[in-house]
Amino acid sequence: MGVRRRSGSFVLRVNPILCDGFGHCAELAPELVQTDEWGYPILRSEPVPLTDAGVFESARYAERGCPRQALHIHRISEKKPQ
Amino acid sequence: MIALTTPYLWYTTRATGMVALILFTLVASLGTLVANRIGGTIVGRFEINELHRSLSMVAVTFLVIHILTTVLDSYVATGWISAFVPMTSAYKRLAVGIGAVAFDLILAVWISSLLKLRIANTTWRFIHWFSWMGFATALVHGYMTGTDSRSGFGLVVVASCAAVVACAALWRFFGRPTRAAGRTALSPLATTKAATRATPVPPRATPPAPRPFPTSPARTTKQRGPR
Repeated sequence: MGVRRRSGSFVLRVNPILCDGFGHCAELAPELVQTDEWGYPILRSEPVPLTDAGVFESARYAERGCPRQALHIHRISEKKPQ
Repeated sequence: MIALTTPYLWYTTRATGMVALILFTLVASLGTLVANRIGGTIVGRFEINELHRSLSMVAVTFLVIHILTTVLDSYVATGWISAFVPMTSAYKRLAVGIGAVAFDLILAVWISSLLKLRIANTTWRFIHWFSWMGFATALVHGYMTGTDSRSGFGLVVVASCAAVVACAALWRFFGRPTRAAGRTALSPLATTKAATRATPVPPRATPPAPRPFPTSPARTTKQRGPR
């Protein structure tokens, strides 16, 4: 399982209806999230490989730390993209 | 029925009750700080949120010790049922009953927060509103049952906790930031806030450095999945 998890990549996605612009994600995962002028997140859109453990950990913290649970990690497997 | 006659159980009940009240005051205040979006410069917003979560665990631990020692102690006739069901205690029926209501409300908030990633966020928020009621009933319970809380230092502590959370509730109600509260003059939601604000919002001290990833809104919109 651990091996399989490290193959492939992930992107962080936001549900724009739930998001209220608290800005926790930009603090927790600055590698993946910027905020716009209004404080809403702009997410890095290209997939990050799961081997990048530090970024993945940041993404998990951001997913867990969102006060509105608007973020989730979308995994992209290597064999079947999307 | 376990009957323990040591007086230290009773002392522990009194002490942990007082400490739990103080801790829940801190938890409620920190939760208000998170909801009103304090932080981001000196202290991170996520740090206040993490402190709120961690302290709530400590507070619940003290609450559980408070209830366990009350039930185990034979000095007051309060059974296991009375910890959950109101008006079943032989000792101070009404006051302990209010405490049971407070425990049930806090339990609901606690369990829903433990399940936060598994339940809908709107459900969690709805249950989380009951934490105010839980604190209020806990305060009344503390004042009515507390051996120490009607005079001297104990009364000062209870009154301070009540005052702090009352201020937090008023601030939460009246000072609640709208979405995108005054970040920029372009925001349509910023107008009502900006009218009441005496000084304009200063721009952020350090604008974020441009990053290599594309920041076009059209692309991020296309990338969004359904929930």
